[in-house]
Formats: sequence, structure tokens, C-alpha cells
Amino acid sequence: MKKLFALLLALALTLGACTVAVAEEPVTITFWHTYGDAETPVINDVIIPMFEAANPGIKVEAIRQSGDFNQMLVTALGTGMVPDVARVDITKTSAYAKLGGIVAMDEIEGFAALKDAVLEGPLSTNLWNGHYYGLPLNTNCKAAVVNLNVLKTLGFDAAPATMEEFVAACKEKAAGQYKLNVSGLGDWDLFPYFWLFGGVVTDEGFTKASGYMDSAESVAAINTMLQLHQDGVFTIRDVDGTADAWAGINDEYAMFFEGPWAPFNEENGIVPALIPTWNGKSASVVGGENIVIFSGSQKQEAAFQFVQFMLSEEVQLELLKVGVIPTLKACVDSEAVQADPKWSVYMKQLESTQSRIPTPQASTVEQLWQDAMTEIFIEGADVQSTLTSYAAEIDAELAK
Amino acid sequence: MKTLGKTLFWLVLIVSVIVFILPFWFMLCNSFEEFSYVLPIPPHLVPSRISFAAYEHVLSQSDLPRAAYNSVVITLLTACFTVLIASLSAYGFARIDFLGREVLFRIYLFTLMLPGFLGIIPQFLVLQGIGTAKNGLIGTKAGLILLYVGAGICGNTFFLRGHMAALPKELEEAVKIDGGGHMTTFFRVMLPLALPSIGTLAIFCLQGTWEEFFSAKVILGAVANQITLPVMIQSLKGAHATRWEWIFSASILAQIPMILLFAVFQKRFVVSGLSDGSVKA
Amino acid sequence: MIPASFDQQAALKNEKRLRLRQRTRNLLPAAPFVLPGLILACVFVVYPMLFNIRISFSDYQIVQRTMTWVGLDNYVALFTERGDRLLLAIRNNFLYAFVTTPFIMLFGLIFAVMVNSLKRSQLFFRTCFYLPVITSWVIVGNVFAYMFNAGGAGLVNYLLKDVLGLLPAYVPWLNRTWTANLVIWLLGIWKNIGWAMVIYLAGLQGISNDLYEASMLDGASRVQQFWRITVPLLKSTTFYVLVNMVIGSFGVFIQVMMLTSGNPRGTTSVLQYLLYDKSFNLFQFGQGAAIGMITALLVLLTTVVLNQVFHTEGGKAE
Repeated sequence: MKKLFALLLALALTLGACTVAVAEEPVTITFWHTYGDAETPVINDVIIPMFEAANPGIKVEAIRQSGDFNQMLVTALGTGMVPDVARVDITKTSAYAKLGGIVAMDEIEGFAALKDAVLEGPLSTNLWNGHYYGLPLNTNCKAAVVNLNVLKTLGFDAAPATMEEFVAACKEKAAGQYKLNVSGLGDWDLFPYFWLFGGVVTDEGFTKASGYMDSAESVAAINTMLQLHQDGVFTIRDVDGTADAWAGINDEYAMFFEGPWAPFNEENGIVPALIPTWNGKSASVVGGENIVIFSGSQKQEAAFQFVQFMLSEEVQLELLKVGVIPTLKACVDSEAVQADPKWSVYMKQLESTQSRIPTPQASTVEQLWQDAMTEIFIEGADVQSTLTSYAAEIDAELAK
Repeated sequence: MKTLGKTLFWLVLIVSVIVFILPFWFMLCNSFEEFSYVLPIPPHLVPSRISFAAYEHVLSQSDLPRAAYNSVVITLLTACFTVLIASLSAYGFARIDFLGREVLFRIYLFTLMLPGFLGIIPQFLVLQGIGTAKNGLIGTKAGLILLYVGAGICGNTFFLRGHMAALPKELEEAVKIDGGGHMTTFFRVMLPLALPSIGTLAIFCLQGTWEEFFSAKVILGAVANQITLPVMIQSLKGAHATRWEWIFSASILAQIPMILLFAVFQKRFVVSGLSDGSVKA
Repeated sequence: MIPASFDQQAALKNEKRLRLRQRTRNLLPAAPFVLPGLILACVFVVYPMLFNIRISFSDYQIVQRTMTWVGLDNYVALFTERGDRLLLAIRNNFLYAFVTTPFIMLFGLIFAVMVNSLKRSQLFFRTCFYLPVITSWVIVGNVFAYMFNAGGAGLVNYLLKDVLGLLPAYVPWLNRTWTANLVIWLLGIWKNIGWAMVIYLAGLQGISNDLYEASMLDGASRVQQFWRITVPLLKSTTFYVLVNMVIGSFGVFIQVMMLTSGNPRGTTSVLQYLLYDKSFNLFQFGQGAAIGMITALLVLLTTVVLNQVFHTEGGKAE
């Protein structure tokens, strides 16, 4: 018996030693984010030291999360062990708000000033049930990524201005060789094309898809995509098994649409351009992240100080250097943005963007959209009836 | 005829091994490359260069060393506790005829059929309530170890019970005649006799813990300096694009301890009679 | 007669009572052995299980931790959902079991017998075949995703089309229902053969060499030996492998998450992935828990069926 107790005691002590190793700081706020390989060092080595120097009482522990960020956040919400502040995707914000996980930020003093300082469009993704649950931290959209060398073989000296001329050139000079690529059938991938060719997803208030997603215009848009696909101009990687855009743009594709993190390479002629117009209009999809504060946080005051800091001109311009588009009105018009060839393109493109449906049911809606597109593009289902039946499903989700 | 058979034998064996090894070879070749987010076309089956840049990167620029340390500590302690507690309870079930033994054992067996991570949220809540720290044992190695030991206990008890029940009773009776109790029997007789199967359990436990991803992610994922190797490797995947050479080099490094473990202890795997005790399913 | 039988009954009763008393008395010495494990099992296995049964009949709001009783709503929602994701997942779990188990058993046995007959190079081959088993699912998931890449960057496409010329065009492996399921199966087979091989190797140690020598004298060939001696004598080992692989099929998760996420349209999904997706992506914790209960029920049924079919047919497997 004695031996056993001694053994158990020793093991218990070892466990105890492991526990003690986690000590607590006076005021440390935790910040979760998914910045990439380029941005993370800037956050850790520049921005957080800057904040801690300006706010000696507060320390920031920044934790980089990976692809399963959403699952981590949900588990955290379920157990109450949340970070204090986080950078979350714009499409997920209202879902977290509906779950009751994040605070209505417009009830915090000082919000009004920040609200007026940021761009309207990105700000609106924080609105749910009459309250703002966060602030836009950075925005982005897709623009065209073109390979000037491939375009030259199609007879263009610069990025084409209209999709009509691009399509005509592809059919004429590169029949059957896909020159325009998209990765998959999800909303982020396909909405820009759907909108460009005249499709509509919902009414302006995002309350109804029936009558919009299955309208004559929307059916025509899908048919245009199907036609281009059939003509060998437009390829969907996940449907055709064609090369990934990031690789194919080096020699094969003339164009794909991507955010500002695209693999631009001036030397090889891979540069950003506005998405060519169709019927005189360009289109794109808005992306980006909001910064939110969690209901379960005990340090909301310090967290809000951090939010204010992240939305300062200084920080936003620092992050712009590594490819993060600011949401501050003041920065958008700044010299740094206007003079830069890449930023000027994305800023201009932002003017013709729309956002995905901002609903707590966003994940389900996205799944429905992808299912509908799978039926049409892979299984060859009838466009009109498929869109009509899925529009009804989306209606039901939006009514929840 | 005989040489034909022999040639066929070796042909089958070698082709099979090539198929088995191909993914690892592929991983190895590609860990020497530099892709800058784009995969090469055609894929490289022979390394175009031998460069350890990716290894240097993951060793110096990433959390790999820290994660490796965490993984080692967690894996070893989990195996120790598992072996101790599972062999104790296996002895209880195999050698002591106490009231409710069969019912309890049936419950143990039944729980084996349930999906593992179904209980992650209640498990998380339990860990959070243990100890005095604000978040209990969440974000600590102790918490994850406790979860691993606890969640595995039914299956491991089952595994060892079969082996222990199969051992001869005579030695045990000798101890009883000498006036020794169950503890004496357990430490003096049972443990030495059951050592091969305990060793097998330990190795399976080491291996399973080393690669576990889901619980580790949930329990430790929020504390950057506590994460384990699989979680760390997965976090190398970027939001928009991935540097595959980093993933592959980190994966290879993470695999080395397990390969060594198997190479050293592989006799134990086979000889210890894996099947005889555990077949009683 | 009557008193005698009464006596017998009394004695039996008495014996039973004595035994019961003995067993009750045994609780105390058993406690230090069984209790540590029992406490852990209750806290980390049984309690979460009960919690889940409750959730599966509730609308569970994770942040507020409120549970509203909704009866069978979660189950009904799962069975009536558009696209039949639940039924597809169940189908895929069973297909996975049916497809992978025979290959794992067959190749596991063949490799075990082959490796067992080797003298010097045993260590090398054994390690090679066991390598996939000891490699993390996260790692093999990444490698397979890369190897079965849809375009020319995928190793398999490159080998089959550009090197061997077997395919007219690149196949988008992971984006089509059946090719994606095929990859999921292949990964499962590849990863588990080594395990079956090791179990069979252990079983082979138990077969006496005399049997082979005797049959050799009778002029039996190696192949005949294999079918007449090895296979029948490894019956219990085979049953063990079979049960483990079939039950294990209901645990398929990470490969689906990493390879297809259940796409297209949930046709490559499995129960565990659906559970994960419902809970963590769509916040339907009630439905997630219900999937868990359905899985448990299916596993239970499968175990009973396997025991019935193979135990009665092949006698005692012990």
C-alpha cells in the first residue's frame, strides 16, 4: 500500500508542477487572430510592442489560430473560456452575435467616434438586430490577377477593360485552352462571376432569395458561366481538375480573381487589374475581418482600448505595408494608398463590390449555395428549377 | 518452379513496399524544395535539390521545438498514468470477485463504442472546474494528460484485463498463503508477469497520444506555448495558401521519434502475444 | 424427496447468500484497484455521455448554457433534411467498412505471412509496412490531399496520365463523389494494413512449426499450407481484426475533414464529420449530439450482428 501511495504522490506532484507553470499577469488581454505568415511578425514585433509602450498597464497576448479558427471560437464560447478580443471573418460576426458570444460594441463609450471614422460598407457587416457588434478592422475584395505575357498572346497589351473583348479574344486565339480560372463553387469564388454576369442573390435587405436568385437575370448569369465553361474559356478547378490558379497564372491562365494576398510578381508580368466589365459594369465580392469583444471577457475596458489602438491610423498604415487594406476613411485617401499601383486597383475595385448575405445562418446559406452549384455544374441539373428550389431553402434560413 | 516462386515473392514484397513508402518518399523529396505557395508541375519524385532551408525554418522560426517538448512531456506522462491506473483496475476486474463487477465491466465495454470527441464540451467543462486557477486545467499539460488517461481508461482496462485473467492462479495463491494481500500480489506477481502486455499497452498509448489532434487542439489550442506537434503542424497551413515544404519538413521531424520507438520496441509488439488476451472481444 | 430437495434449495440459497456476502466484502480490497479508473471513467466518459443524451433532445444554446427540451425534433430534423446528409453519411460509413475491412485483412495476412518467412530483412519490411500506422492522421491527410491534387500538380494524376498514359485527362479526385470516396478508402486501407499485419504476426507465433513440417511431409505446397493451416488457425485473430476494423469504421473523421469536407453535397461525408460540421460550423449542437447517439446505436447493432454471425458460425472465437 505504502509503495502505491508514494508512487501516486510522486505522480500527483509531477502533475502539480505542470499546472503551476501557468502564472497569471495583472492585466493581460488575449487577442486571437488568423493573420498570415507575412502579417504575424508585424503584429508580434511592431504593433503589440507599440501598444504596450503606449498602455503600460496592459499586456497583449496575441495567438495565431489556424484553419479551424471557427471551431476554436465555438468551443471557447461553449465553455466561457474566450479570448478578450478577436479578429473574426465578416461573414461570421452576426452568427457569434446571435449566439450571444460577443458584446454590442455600440454600447461602449467611444464607439461613436470610431464608427464615424470607418468605411460604411465594411461597418455594416457588424450590424445585427439593431446593434453594432464590432468594428471593421480590415477589408478586402477580389480584383483581377492577370498575366500580361499570356494576355499578349491573346492580343492585349494591358489588362482587358471588358469581359466581352476578353472572351472574344480567348475564343479566337486560344480556343479550348482555359484562360480564366476559378477554384471552386462556393460563394466567395463564384459570386463575383454571378454578379458580373448580372445575377442577383437576394433583395437589398437580405430577407428573400426567391424571385432574386431564381430570376431571369440570375438564370442568364449561370447560363453565361456554363456557356463560357463549355466554350473552353472559363474553368472551375474543382469541376475540371485543372491547375490551381496560383500555379497556373504563371504560364497557363490569363486571369483569375483574388484578394490582395495574390502571388503578384512584376517580373513575370503578374499584376493586379480591375475585374473587366460585362455589360459595362464590374463586380466583385467583399471580404475582410472585424474586431470584436467577447461577452465572457472580464477585461472589456482594456480590450476596447486595444480596439481603438488597432483602428488608429498608425497601425492601419503599418499593416498596409504587408498587404492589409485599411478601413479608416482617413487611410483610404492617404498618399500611401493612392500612390501604390496595387492599392489603387483594390480601392477602385471596392467601389463595385457587394457583400455575401450577412446572416447568422451564413454557413448554412453558403452550404446551400454550394449544393445548388454542385447540382448545376457537376451533375448537370436544370438551372431554373434548381435555383428556384434552393432559393426557397435560403428563404427559410433567412427567416430564422 | 522454385526460383519462379521466389522471384514472384520478392517482386510482390518489393512492389508493396514501394507503394507503402511512396507517400513518405514524396513528403521527403518535397521537404527540400522551395515552393513559395505554389505546387510544382509536374510534381517532384526526385528532389531537384538537397536543401535544409525548410527544416531550418521550422526549427528556428516556428513553434516546433516548443511543441516537440510539449508533446514529449504529455506523451510520456500520459503513458505512465495510463499504465499505472489501467493495470490497477485491470487487476481489480480480473482477480477480485467484487459485487457489481460484471455490470461495471459491461458499462466499460459499452462506452468503447461511443464516438470519442462527442463529449468534448462536457469534458472541457470538467477540466475547467478542476483546480484553483481561473480556467482550471484548460490550457495546461496536466489537463490534457488527465483527459487522455480518463478517456482511454475503459479500453485500456479491457485490454489488460484479458491478459491478466489469462495468467495462472498458482503464484497468486502462494502469496496468499504467505499472508500477502492484493497489493503484494499485484506488485510482486502480476506486474512482472503481465509486463509484456503492459509494454504493448504503453507503446500503443505513446503512439496514440503522440498523434492525437482534436482534444489537443481544443484543450491547449488557446495557449500558444502549450500546443503539441500535430496542432502546430496544422497551424502551418495558411489562411490563403500554404508553404508545403514547411508542413512536410515539420511532419518528418515529428515522425522520427515514433519511427525510432517502433524500430527499438518492435519485437515487443509481436512477441508479447497481442492476440491472446485481447481477442476476448 | 420433498424435504431433501428443500434442503438442497436451502443449501443453494445459503451458498448464494454466502457468495453475495463474500462479494460485498470484496468491495473494500477492490476499491484501491478499481476506484481510480472508475472515477476517471465517470468524469471523462460516462458524465459526458449522459450530458450528450440530454443535449440530443434539447435546443442547446452553448453561450447561455440553456437547454430547452424539444423532444425528437433534432432527430426529425436530421432525417428530413434536404439532401439526406445523414443517410449519405450512414451509407458512407457502411461502405467504408465493407470496402476497407476485407482489403486490410487480406493484405495484413499476406504481408504477415510473407514477412514472417523472412530471416534477415524482417525488421526492415515490418517497419515499412507499419510506418503508416504510426504516422499522424494529420500528416497522412496532408500528404494524400497533395498527392490527389486535382490538377497536374497531383502526383497520382501525373503518374497515371503523364507517365503511364492510363488516363486521357487529369481527374479531380477529391471533387467527385466516387473518386473522393475511393481516396478516403485507400487512405484507410493504406493506414491500417500495418496494424492488421502486426496482429497477424502475433497470431502466427502461436502456430506450432510441427504442423507445417508434418504437412510438408504430406507433400502440401506453400499455398495449400496457407489455406489449410494458417487461415483456419488464425480464425480468432481474424475475428479480432474484423471487429476492430468494422467498429473503427464508425470513427472515420480526420481523413474526411482534411480531404473533402464531405463535398460534393455531403456525398463523401461520414457520421463523425457530420457531427463535427453540425456542431462546430452550423452551431446545431442538439443535432450533433443526436448524430452521436445514432452512431452509438449503429455500432451497438453492428457489434451484435458480428457476434451473432461469426461466433455461432465459427464456434467460440476465444
